[in-house]
Amino acid sequence: MKAVILDGIVLGLQFGLLGVGLTLVYGLAGVLNLAYGQIAVLGAIVVALRMDAGMPAFFAALVGLAVAGVIGLLLDQTLMRPVYRRRGEPRVLLGLLLMLGVAFIIDGVLEWRYPIESLSLRIGGDPVEIIGVRMRTGSLLASAIALATGAVLAVFFRYAVAGKAIRSVIQDEEGARLCGVNPARARSLVFLLSGVLAALVAVTRSMTGPVTVTAGIDFTTLALIVAVVGGLGSVTGAFLAGLVLGIVNTVSAFYIGTYVTTIILLAAAAVTIVLRPTGLLGAGRT
Amino acid sequence: MARRTRPTLVRAYAPIVVAAAILALVPLRYHDSRTMMGVVITGVLFAAYAIGFNVIFGSTGQLFLCVGALAGLGGYTSGILTDRTGAPIVLSMLAGTAMATVVGALLSWIAVSRSLGVIFTGIVTLAFSLAFQNLLLGRRDLTGGETGLTIDAGDDTVLGDQVWPYYLFLALVVIYLVVYRALQRSRMGWAFRALRDDEIAAELAGVDVKRYRVIAGAVGAAMIGFAGALYANTEGFISPSTFAFGNVDVRVIVMLAFGGIGSLLGPVVGAAAFTILDEWLVSFNEYYLIIYGAIIVALFLFLPGGVVPTLQSLTKRRRRPARGTVAARDA
Repeated sequence: MKAVILDGIVLGLQFGLLGVGLTLVYGLAGVLNLAYGQIAVLGAIVVALRMDAGMPAFFAALVGLAVAGVIGLLLDQTLMRPVYRRRGEPRVLLGLLLMLGVAFIIDGVLEWRYPIESLSLRIGGDPVEIIGVRMRTGSLLASAIALATGAVLAVFFRYAVAGKAIRSVIQDEEGARLCGVNPARARSLVFLLSGVLAALVAVTRSMTGPVTVTAGIDFTTLALIVAVVGGLGSVTGAFLAGLVLGIVNTVSAFYIGTYVTTIILLAAAAVTIVLRPTGLLGAGRT
Repeated sequence: MARRTRPTLVRAYAPIVVAAAILALVPLRYHDSRTMMGVVITGVLFAAYAIGFNVIFGSTGQLFLCVGALAGLGGYTSGILTDRTGAPIVLSMLAGTAMATVVGALLSWIAVSRSLGVIFTGIVTLAFSLAFQNLLLGRRDLTGGETGLTIDAGDDTVLGDQVWPYYLFLALVVIYLVVYRALQRSRMGWAFRALRDDEIAAELAGVDVKRYRVIAGAVGAAMIGFAGALYANTEGFISPSTFAFGNVDVRVIVMLAFGGIGSLLGPVVGAAAFTILDEWLVSFNEYYLIIYGAIIVALFLFLPGGVVPTLQSLTKRRRRPARGTVAARDA
């Protein structure tokens, strides 16, 4: 049982990290980034290609994160411009459809150029014993990165000026503007951050299993579910939701198994939303 | 408006007649090609899905990301019943439609009674979609899993033919369009417009917002479920990918958004455009997805409102100044 819970936490941290990048962009820019998973996979494939070229894994990962971040920034600077000029439902819909188009384009490029490429990082070393459970180093490293990222984000949003500015825009764009915060710059920063986070998830996921070219849509749907269950716009909420869903997933996989596991996971997500329509830690804006 | 019933009646239903007449000519060109007939049948099927989705999303703003799942519910219920119990096709199709209707109404009721917003309704229904997909893959004994389900009900009837099913689906689309227009013109249509424009104002004016949303959810789901059931029986083979989220919902949303959300002919125009586009793009092989994505981006950048509403506002603008000048001259 201990092992199952620990596995759930490892998985949950990954889920949480996955949800964060999506939740921030929605909370701040009102855009549901349906190309999120594709950006993650693109980052992973860049890492794999750099490593094929002989670059050490760490530096290759940095290149991958940078490329994904720049793509996020580019999307913000170009395609999302007309979206920002709208309000309410038309904004959500246009953002969603444009990002869907981007998702197709990235998928198309990847499947055309690198149909069989995949990223799997093997982390060496013997399994480490934690409270009597032997854990693989890959899972531990992935969890450590997720935890560290979560901590850095928490500190950033609480203490850094830029972080506070971003939170103020999420809470009240007009009010933030009146206080001298530039929402456009906050948005660019968040899009950059979201791209980096997406690639980071793909890299940590590849420590426990291969990330293939076609994994984009799975990343996106999972990120959507985690972000919504956690409450759109809430970083802590995304991690909390990730942990809950991760533990639900491994526990039901262990005791029930087969396809029912996924159904239980989805049902848990749906029930949470229905019970708390703003998400676990949502601000109440829909 | 009610005084001159006949002209408005003609004006209200004329677009449906024109669209049906144009679509009825399609088999003249493709009747001898089995593949092309398959393509156009899928096109008409998607028009039917899109009309159902339009009733739910276009009329009452509920983002149902489970069009594929509802169609699958209709298709699989009907297919399994026909296959297992030898029930008559009509009965099994009604059972499938009933299943989809109940689930659609239930999802709608949950969304309404918990007052979920657009995105949250979307995610709950998406969760249902993915769960249904897993159920199809998991219950191999009933559904045949990934390999799919073969339904040999239509082979020895007219359903085995290629041209007849097309007209069957076309008739379905026409019926759906008539239902959509009739809904628009009824009291319910007024309620739909009121609650879409301003939910709180509609509620204050005495519109039972909840009731109308659930009705729209049920009617749209019934349309989608019946279309899925009909497809299962005419095609004779269904698999989870026939109803997968990526294959159905994404396409239906793109089609409807392109044609024009909340417009009568938007779903048909969108389905036709993307069916033609798909066929045209097949020849590009590996660039297919890239071009497809680029076209979606370009279309929504330059035509965010959809084709049909854009055309309507263009013709209206041309008409109105004309009237204005006459009035000015008279004065």
